[in-house]
Amino acid sequence: MLSYSFGRTALVGGVLIAVACSFMSFFIIVRRLAFAGMGISHAAFGGVAIGIATGVNPILTAGAFCVLVAGGIGWFSRKGKLHEDTIIGILFSAAMALGVVLIAAAHAYNQDLLSYLFGSILAVSWTDVAILAVMSFLAVGFMVVFFKELLFFTFDEETATASGVPVRFVYYGLLVTIALTIVVAIKLVGIILVSALIVIPGAIGLQLSRGYRHAIALSVASGIASVVVGLQLSFRFDVASGATIVLVMFALFLASVALSPRRRYVQRLRARLERSGTGGG
Amino acid sequence: MSRGRAAGRQCRVARFFDSDAGERLLIDLENVSVELGGQTVLEDITFRLREGMFLGVIGPNGAGKTTLLRVILGIVKPRSGTVCVMGMQPGELRHELHHIGYVPQNVLFDPVFPVSVYDVVMMGRTCCIGRFRFARREDREAEIESIRVVGLEGLEKRLIGELSGGQQKRAFLARALCRETRILLLDEPTSGLDIPAQNAFMDLLTGLKEDLGLSVVFVSHDVNVLAQHADEMACINRSMHLHGKPGDVIGSARLQEAYRCEFDFLVGSPAHHPKREGG
Repeated sequence: MLSYSFGRTALVGGVLIAVACSFMSFFIIVRRLAFAGMGISHAAFGGVAIGIATGVNPILTAGAFCVLVAGGIGWFSRKGKLHEDTIIGILFSAAMALGVVLIAAAHAYNQDLLSYLFGSILAVSWTDVAILAVMSFLAVGFMVVFFKELLFFTFDEETATASGVPVRFVYYGLLVTIALTIVVAIKLVGIILVSALIVIPGAIGLQLSRGYRHAIALSVASGIASVVVGLQLSFRFDVASGATIVLVMFALFLASVALSPRRRYVQRLRARLERSGTGGG
Repeated sequence: MSRGRAAGRQCRVARFFDSDAGERLLIDLENVSVELGGQTVLEDITFRLREGMFLGVIGPNGAGKTTLLRVILGIVKPRSGTVCVMGMQPGELRHELHHIGYVPQNVLFDPVFPVSVYDVVMMGRTCCIGRFRFARREDREAEIESIRVVGLEGLEKRLIGELSGGQQKRAFLARALCRETRILLLDEPTSGLDIPAQNAFMDLLTGLKEDLGLSVVFVSHDVNVLAQHADEMACINRSMHLHGKPGDVIGSARLQEAYRCEFDFLVGSPAHHPKREGG
């Protein structure tokens, strides 16, 4: 795979976006923002449609649109007028409906649209890789710089507020970071599957570790491993790269559930085998 | 935050505590009214917390006790009245919150949230560490000391969700103390604890108050817990009904009026709620 230029760009771009998504995934899981992530990613369809219909770069319009949707989710849920999941359900379905109407009006059901829906990492250029690198750097930078504030806020918002943590800034900052990372990750796996990238790695990390440091490290490691193995498999068997990456991630998640020290499946299985071995002997 | 401004504020707090103005008022609320969502939650509340005092705030559910703490912390702005904490207005106070320790009523966290007691207590240092900085040696020392004083040594590496209710309350108390705490605000910290755990927590708290020279505002709906430990009690139910020594407050007919039920039902007979030895 690495002997081809598109293979190298895919690998570098994929690893960059995996690092940002997997790091963020920890906060998405502990703050229970998985549905928000899914809502924002699906809302990107509306943004992509605006770009296709108006002739502007769809990634730019999707970025702006996702940030708006993320801000809307944050604003409505913090005002307490509507539950977070209610407003996410409303905004993402409305954004997708807008996308369908615009695409139909512009007669733009074509290959380009499909690449946004299902990803086209093998078509990533070095310019795209540079954009991915900048976005990943900004996303990871935000989470590192405000790490202790993010952790405090996700654990206990009330006391964080009472301690002078700028919770509004941290909350909106996290949502905007999620939105922008999702937009650049669309290149990798597409709108339909991007939520897997921001949910599954964090879930894997939390299955296998007790402390947040290990959870984040395992989350990032599983994200990178999924991209590398997924790309390799998709290249070898000539199947869709984005979907293969997500399936590898899912396989890792199943393995993490089986090996999770919380569930002790392996220990129980071993004990049962030992008992049956002793009984038989 | 510039070093000069930080030093200026430091001087202001230091001046407040070094002044020889006699009795220092750490909290001074004057005719405070609060409206939330179009409804009056607090009305015309006036009370003062002197340095070193243990003030118990009682009142039935929905009386506005938590809102009162949020007003002191500057999270909720009053509709009218004045709030003065350590000689500062709420706007200035947001830079001095590391002098206030807060133990909330319920921390609704996921039981498998991957933070240890160490991590939770270190959260209390967030305002001392400052933005764009990581914990230093002095922060770790303060953390270890806070864990020691609340008696959680040996449990530092346990996940917070693995602790019992009483141990979790101690961890949150350690977090509130893991800073330059002068005022401790506690919101129903003994709710959900059984009687022995309540007693252990109250003994710990009164000991720490004396040892660390803290001034305490303790909010509870349980009159009996506070009657044994508070220097003064205030009873609110949207407005201030009573404020005085525990004996006076408990003996007053206005307590029944505030709770809208019989006094015996609240405090119970000595047989049901025996006064603890030495309490």
